[in-house]
Amino acid sequence: MAKLRIQFENGDPEKVIEFDPAKAPFHHDGKPGSILDVMLGHGVHLEHACGGNCACTTCHVIVKQGFNKLGESSDQEEDLLDRAPGLTPTSRLGCQAVIEDPNAEIVVVIPRYTINQVSEAAEE
Amino acid sequence: MTAEQPPPASIKRGTMNARVERIFDHASDTRSLFLSLASGKHLRFVPGQFISITIPLGDETRSRPYSIASDPGDRGPFEICFNRVAGGRGVQWLFDRRVGDTLDFSGPFGAFTLAPAPDSENGFIAEGTAIAPIRPMLKQAIAASPTPRIHLIYAAPDREHLLYAAELDALTRTAPNFSYEPVIVPADQIYDRLFEMAQARWVVGDADRTRHFYICGVGKGVIRLRDLLRTAGYERRAVHYEQW
Repeated sequence: MAKLRIQFENGDPEKVIEFDPAKAPFHHDGKPGSILDVMLGHGVHLEHACGGNCACTTCHVIVKQGFNKLGESSDQEEDLLDRAPGLTPTSRLGCQAVIEDPNAEIVVVIPRYTINQVSEAAEE
Repeated sequence: MTAEQPPPASIKRGTMNARVERIFDHASDTRSLFLSLASGKHLRFVPGQFISITIPLGDETRSRPYSIASDPGDRGPFEICFNRVAGGRGVQWLFDRRVGDTLDFSGPFGAFTLAPAPDSENGFIAEGTAIAPIRPMLKQAIAASPTPRIHLIYAAPDREHLLYAAELDALTRTAPNFSYEPVIVPADQIYDRLFEMAQARWVVGDADRTRHFYICGVGKGVIRLRDLLRTAGYERRAVHYEQW
């Protein structure tokens, strides 16, 4: 079983998901087996304003462990990440980063600004 | 937590509620909804951004993005624009909305927004409803000072799908730095034509590689246009695109 450990920069309790990558997809948004797909399929929310179609940066995650165990990023994902706030060398879009290794242990941090705070500031 | 555990029935998200104030059909398969916030407040957004609408489909909900087609300076309802797609259940739900109905959404989101203007020219490329995010971006670019040259290449399969055509024509008369090339071309040839036009104007046409570009459209054709401009020598980050 692969393991995905999710930490939240806003202090929410850590979540751990154990799953079999061969059983992907787990949900209907994001690439099958992606961090987004795994999280949504196990009841852990990750913002994905574009529906998990690699068209925004709201599913930005920072990979703390297992970066090299993830599928490669595309030019399109890199272009989007360029404009993600708080970009780090191990940033990925959750909808595109696929976990294929059945023994992978991935640790990601959900940045504070990824958690949907935009709506609160969008009315005037 | 393991794969055997079912997800919760719903996941709380930060959402806003909007009311359908007006409906406008550009064509039989292309519609705009004009929305106002139920709170009575004004939606603050940047030209080019989108909202993520919560669409109920059976026992579940999905979030689908729709670009805002109106100008943030308009104090009335804001506009989203969309067209029917084969098998598109989400967009069918939107077509079923009536004046007075409400919908939930989050956002606005998106980084497909105007960068500081180059000295030379901003080039825009769009087709069909993908003019939606570009429409307010054009107005923002035209209002910027100093205003660089602005050129739009906009394709559609027929005249009725060339949205906001009268408005774009009017802009060419009122904004001296704005020029506009509408092109009518069969749907399956749209991206080939856009490619040819972009190549002729911005690659073969001169040696200036300081322009910025904003491309919006559907599918791999957007990536072809991106790669055409980048491999021609334009800065990678000067070629902005949104692929639907």
